[in-house]
Amino acid sequence: MRRTTVKLIILCVLLGYVLCPFRLLAQSPFEVKARTDTDRIRIGEQLKLELTADLDLNSMPGASLKVVFPNLPDSFAHWEVVDRTGLDTLGQTNGEKHFKQTLTLTSFDSGHWEIPPLKFEVYSTRTDGSYDSMFTQPIGIDVGTVTVDTTKAFKPIKSVRTVDWAWLDYWPYMAAGAGLVIVLFALWWFLLRKRKKKEPAPEPVSLEPVYDRTIRLLKELDTEKVWQQGNVKEYYSRLTDILRTYFEEQFGIAALEQTTAELLQNIKPVTILNQQRDKLRSLLSLADLAKFAKLQPSPEEHVDSMHKAMEIVEWTKPAARPAEGQGLPAPANGSGNHTKQ
Amino acid sequence: MENTSQDIRQLNEKIHQASAFVDLLNIELGKVIVGQRYMVERLLIGLLAQGHVLLEGVPGLAKTLSIKSLSSAINAKFSRIQFTPDLLPADVVGTMIYNQQKNEFVVRRGPIFANFILADEINRAPAKVQSALLEAMQEKQVTIGDTTFKLEEPFLVLATQNPIEQEGTYTLPEAQVDRFMLKVVIGYPTKEEERHIIRQNLNPDGMTAINPVINPADIVEARKLVRQVYMDEKIERYILDIVFATRHPEDYKLQKLKPLISYGGSPRASISLAWAAKSYAFMKRRGYVIPEDVRSICFDVMRHRVGLTYEAEAENVTSENILSEILNAVEVP
Repeated sequence: MRRTTVKLIILCVLLGYVLCPFRLLAQSPFEVKARTDTDRIRIGEQLKLELTADLDLNSMPGASLKVVFPNLPDSFAHWEVVDRTGLDTLGQTNGEKHFKQTLTLTSFDSGHWEIPPLKFEVYSTRTDGSYDSMFTQPIGIDVGTVTVDTTKAFKPIKSVRTVDWAWLDYWPYMAAGAGLVIVLFALWWFLLRKRKKKEPAPEPVSLEPVYDRTIRLLKELDTEKVWQQGNVKEYYSRLTDILRTYFEEQFGIAALEQTTAELLQNIKPVTILNQQRDKLRSLLSLADLAKFAKLQPSPEEHVDSMHKAMEIVEWTKPAARPAEGQGLPAPANGSGNHTKQ
Repeated sequence: MENTSQDIRQLNEKIHQASAFVDLLNIELGKVIVGQRYMVERLLIGLLAQGHVLLEGVPGLAKTLSIKSLSSAINAKFSRIQFTPDLLPADVVGTMIYNQQKNEFVVRRGPIFANFILADEINRAPAKVQSALLEAMQEKQVTIGDTTFKLEEPFLVLATQNPIEQEGTYTLPEAQVDRFMLKVVIGYPTKEEERHIIRQNLNPDGMTAINPVINPADIVEARKLVRQVYMDEKIERYILDIVFATRHPEDYKLQKLKPLISYGGSPRASISLAWAAKSYAFMKRRGYVIPEDVRSICFDVMRHRVGLTYEAEAENVTSENILSEILNAVEVP
């Protein structure tokens, strides 16, 4: 009996020595844990793995520690990391500091798989940079397949499911379409406005008969005393232009674009005008000399030119009146003055 | 210096006297050339305005006879060069040949050393020969070896083109055609004129000889007077309006011409038009230019300077059609 008691004491002492490290570990200021929300999932199903680390700062007053959580790859030993949260510092209570990170894992292999021990590291930033490391306990997880009832017949493939049409599903496209229509309309309107601006405004239509206007313009030229002021060239330019405009508007002869010789040739079909041909030739020839050869006609010739112009217009008056009555085109502008200097 | 009315009157009288030779020339040329007054008149315009003339017409229209007769009437030297595909520039301007007796190279002058040159069928020779001639036309000088020779004044080139045969020809580029002051298109004589031509050619006494009526020096003097012919500012503006209407027809209410014109007249067109108008006025024995002068020579000065688009060619629109439209739209001063 005594021998048995001694053996028990020796055994207890030995056990004490053997268990001593665990005792010391239990008293470590750094504690890590890995915990899952389930120990069984179906294939492809996700589980949450919560990693926590607790630091007891009371045991190391004045120490500044840094915890490094395990850096899991995206795929490891039958497991896939679907998501991982950032490291969460839960705060400090009674001299303890808590850290937490949650990972979402899944597995696509059926069987019993183990999440291996995960390594945490703690650095002391105020010391020489030495660190301590700890591992979590491994966690076994059963990954089961979907049970198939083989006694039942195969089910047919399901047809394409139609989704109900809803306005809300298409509103971005509708908004884009409406925007495009608005932009195109604005562009069209802008171009239309620009083109309208470019188009010259229609010239005001004078209601004054061609004959009356020509006589008025000749009288105005006479009363302005242009040649008396030394502007002989201007005088003859205006005089011939008034006459040419009159022929153009009254008799349809493109007189403004014709030379003297052409004009004299082209008035031949207009009998009433042709009867004044000599007078017209004399007037236009003198005007050409004044305009292009700096000829200075005598004052009598200036007066005579005006009289001739008046006489030609007066002579053609009988032809002019009926023509106006027949609605010949009205003059392009009120003045009819095409002076070219 | 501004011309006064007195200056112009004096100039007019001077030109009236000095231009009397034009009538003499016309009479003398009329002895052998039946009809073709238009062509002869244009040749004289080119001669007086120091320009060259490109003649377009079918063979047998007295082109050679006209210029030969003109040179005889002016007592000037005449050369005819038949342009062929194997012609070389040296055949036109001349070359250096080795003289064995003297043991040295001597210059042999080409046919270009004359007062009147007839470059017959200019589009048959390759570009290098054409450019040799055109360079001489422009510079009025040629270089053979190391020596540059001035060409004698008056110097007039009359080049001809046959419009009906285009195969195997080298069309003159636009830039080179522009160097010709006038492009004259000549047509067939009238029936009556052709009857005279037959009689004249079958005359047992042979063709009438042309007598010289003036000297080349008179032409040089006449050119100086042509330069003095008064051109009013209004006429200058009229010329510019015509040339600018070929470039920007839309500015002259001729929008319909815009797609038909690929390029309009160059500044050389304006210069040529002014020069030719002055020459025409001189020939009409006037010391000043009137719009008729401009219109009379406008087609000949401008027809080769207005480029047509494919659209115009497809619609058979000619440069003459375009110029007619322009002249009918631009107001005469």
